[in-house]
Amino acid sequence: MVERLAMPKSWRLESKPHKFCPGCGHGMVLKVLGEVIDELAIQEKLIFGVDIGCSLLAWDFFDVDTVQTHHGRTNPVMVGIKRARPELLCIAYMGDGGAYAIGSQHLVNAAFRNEKIMAIVVNNCNYGMTGGQMSPTTLPGQKTETSPYGRDPKETGSPTQGPEMVAAIASPGAYVARGSVTNLKQLKRFMKKAVENQLAGNGFSFLEVISCCPTNWRTNAKQTWAFMEEEMASYFRVGELLTAEKDEENS
Amino acid sequence: MRILEAYVGEYASGKSEVAINRALSLLGGELAVTLVDLDLVEPFYTLRPLKRELEAMGLAVITWDTKDVLGFGETGSLLMPQMRWALQREGHVIFDVGYGVSGSRVFNLLEGFATSKLKVFAVLNVSRPMTANLEEIVEYLQGFEQLDGLVNNTHLGAETALATIYHGIELGAAVADAMGIPVIATAVDARFRTQLGSVDQRGNPIRYLKLYMEKAFW
Amino acid sequence: MDKLIQEEKRVFMTGNEAVAWAAVAAGAEIMNGYPITPQNEIMHYWTRLAPKFNKKFLQTEDELSAGFTTIGSVLGGKKAFSATAGPGTTLFQEPLSMAEMMRIPMVLVVQQRGGPSTATVIYSQQEVNMVTFGGNGEGWRIVYSTSSHQELYDYTIKAFDMAWKYRFPAIILGDGYQAKMRESLLMYNPEERGIELVQPEAFVGKPGLPGRDRPASHLRNAFSVEEELFDAAMSIQREYDQMASEIIEADQQQIEDAQLVIVAHGVVSRAAVAAMNRLRAKGLKVGYFRPITLRPFPEKQLQAVAASCNNFLLVESALGQLARLFKEALFNVPVKTFQTIYKPGVGITAEEIVEYIEALG
Repeated sequence: MVERLAMPKSWRLESKPHKFCPGCGHGMVLKVLGEVIDELAIQEKLIFGVDIGCSLLAWDFFDVDTVQTHHGRTNPVMVGIKRARPELLCIAYMGDGGAYAIGSQHLVNAAFRNEKIMAIVVNNCNYGMTGGQMSPTTLPGQKTETSPYGRDPKETGSPTQGPEMVAAIASPGAYVARGSVTNLKQLKRFMKKAVENQLAGNGFSFLEVISCCPTNWRTNAKQTWAFMEEEMASYFRVGELLTAEKDEENS
Repeated sequence: MRILEAYVGEYASGKSEVAINRALSLLGGELAVTLVDLDLVEPFYTLRPLKRELEAMGLAVITWDTKDVLGFGETGSLLMPQMRWALQREGHVIFDVGYGVSGSRVFNLLEGFATSKLKVFAVLNVSRPMTANLEEIVEYLQGFEQLDGLVNNTHLGAETALATIYHGIELGAAVADAMGIPVIATAVDARFRTQLGSVDQRGNPIRYLKLYMEKAFW
Repeated sequence: MDKLIQEEKRVFMTGNEAVAWAAVAAGAEIMNGYPITPQNEIMHYWTRLAPKFNKKFLQTEDELSAGFTTIGSVLGGKKAFSATAGPGTTLFQEPLSMAEMMRIPMVLVVQQRGGPSTATVIYSQQEVNMVTFGGNGEGWRIVYSTSSHQELYDYTIKAFDMAWKYRFPAIILGDGYQAKMRESLLMYNPEERGIELVQPEAFVGKPGLPGRDRPASHLRNAFSVEEELFDAAMSIQREYDQMASEIIEADQQQIEDAQLVIVAHGVVSRAAVAAMNRLRAKGLKVGYFRPITLRPFPEKQLQAVAASCNNFLLVESALGQLARLFKEALFNVPVKTFQTIYKPGVGITAEEIVEYIEALG
């Protein structure tokens, strides 16, 4: 019963305990999202889209209408729903591979068109579900199954700076931020603002979350935390890049 | 006197047939006759496949030659330099203008258009669903900044009946009234020659068309 | 909103325009598309008609997005469609496969162009393999191969109805010739013809609080184990087979006394009919068979033809794509002679067919 109290109301009891690995960042991100759904009372009009990769394990996570799509295609499916039913609230939930590799053209164009949806990208520096391959956000020197000697930026480029890219091309009205599961209070603040931005119909809302994959990183709790707070933080800066207030300052 | 005419109109209204027949009708005089294919939206149903045949009949034809183009429809619609300078040519010049939302703006591409005496005529087939009644047709034609007259060309292809043609002529007259421009001619497939004579029921001269475009699919 | 057709009458237009008007007549609300020749005028005319009839359009970043946004709009409860050709049809296999697995109705109009690769923008019948069995799956689509503007109009309306009735993606298979040709057709409001349009239903975003007033819609296409997929696949296949008997269409003429049957589909069937008529006038006993649905394929109808005459001439603007469907349908059925005219990416005239058959002696 104590457990139940800690759970956001919008969580679906029947699918708990969830299927993510122990220590996975997804559980934390989805907890924050659940709290935001509850606090903003959006459960009834929310459509949640999940990608391929670990994000798909969230396909029955909430008592919220949810569509599991194809790898990289969650943004266009949510765009299609939003344009058909502007009164609904659409959140596309994906990993760094879905957002920045196979679905990058969709992300870029959704941002360009200032689609009134929200995209959440859970960045864990690798393809977790397929066995820990190199992803767009794998850090230089980081060893993965397809970069066994460490990622060499000369060969495979540098980690994708997602929010920076989206902020560079987004239109006024867009909200762009990067949070981290190492600071859930701040993450929740960003999450809430991103959802509110869509509720207000302002424009594209984009939130990257620095997250963790202890299973594929082969890290214990302490090492996991250190990887996020030290190594990832040196490439990915946490904070808000575009907000309504910043729009006003610039105008 | 030198004749400069451009035929414009809705997609599949019959502009090309009217323009080709007009150009051919001008042959035999002292002046040379040039036919210009100004289709910039899609290179289909253009004069390209007819170029040789029309040249053999005595026209100068400015259009792309199949051997000179690659990947038509993939590379975009290209303006030939000769098209840009077509108004500077001697003799009669007839333009077959492709459809598209740009309306009269296409003439900005022609050197000397502003000071030329180019007449712009709209070809009208009221069997076309978006130009089927007075209101729609007037709305469509108002998209053209310059319009000097109308050519009735109402038909249903092989299924054209005399009633189809009569209906087009009557509606054309109403459009001309509403727009304050004249009907300069009624174009009709040559197979109706014996039934219709030289002027239509409204007194407009009839131009009988020999159809060429069926051969010009691509 | 204006009524689409004020009075039924014949109109003169291109095939692409006929599709755009038919989509409006069928009650389509949203088109999402990406430019590719030779289907562009479908988008041009849809966007011209859109404000008059309160329709929506999105020009997407590619055909993947065109397909997936279309799926999204359908999930939202709207009738949505797209149109494409050639390499675009290749990209469309991915969204089509999701629609097949999740039983999402959608309509895709394919105006075939030359292939493989970029090839020509002009014409072919080389997208038969792809529209019937493309994608990773079992070909759970409805494919109508049209041969005239009237059919483009009629079958576009029908495709929406069948897609939404049976919840399988439906494809109108035209080609560059049909897209650009001009001919007359009769446009009508389907309801006035007694055609009851199937109304769309939302998959997500229905009224009520999920988990309290109604169960949440949890829609997925991923399965964990083999058995789970097996059950799902078999259940979809059963429903597909059941649908097949209700929607299969074919056309045939002069089979009874025929000594040779010309088989063709799409625009080539017009040449086949013309050739048959000319040869009949010369006393040759020639018949004709045309599948209208390429998926599901009219196997029984073709087998009945083969029981009456088993000499065939198959004619197509591809290298044996219709022939593959034909052979599968006649597996284990005795066929005495089977000849072909294959012209990949090139039109076929009645004269050629007549000449070929006369040369057979």
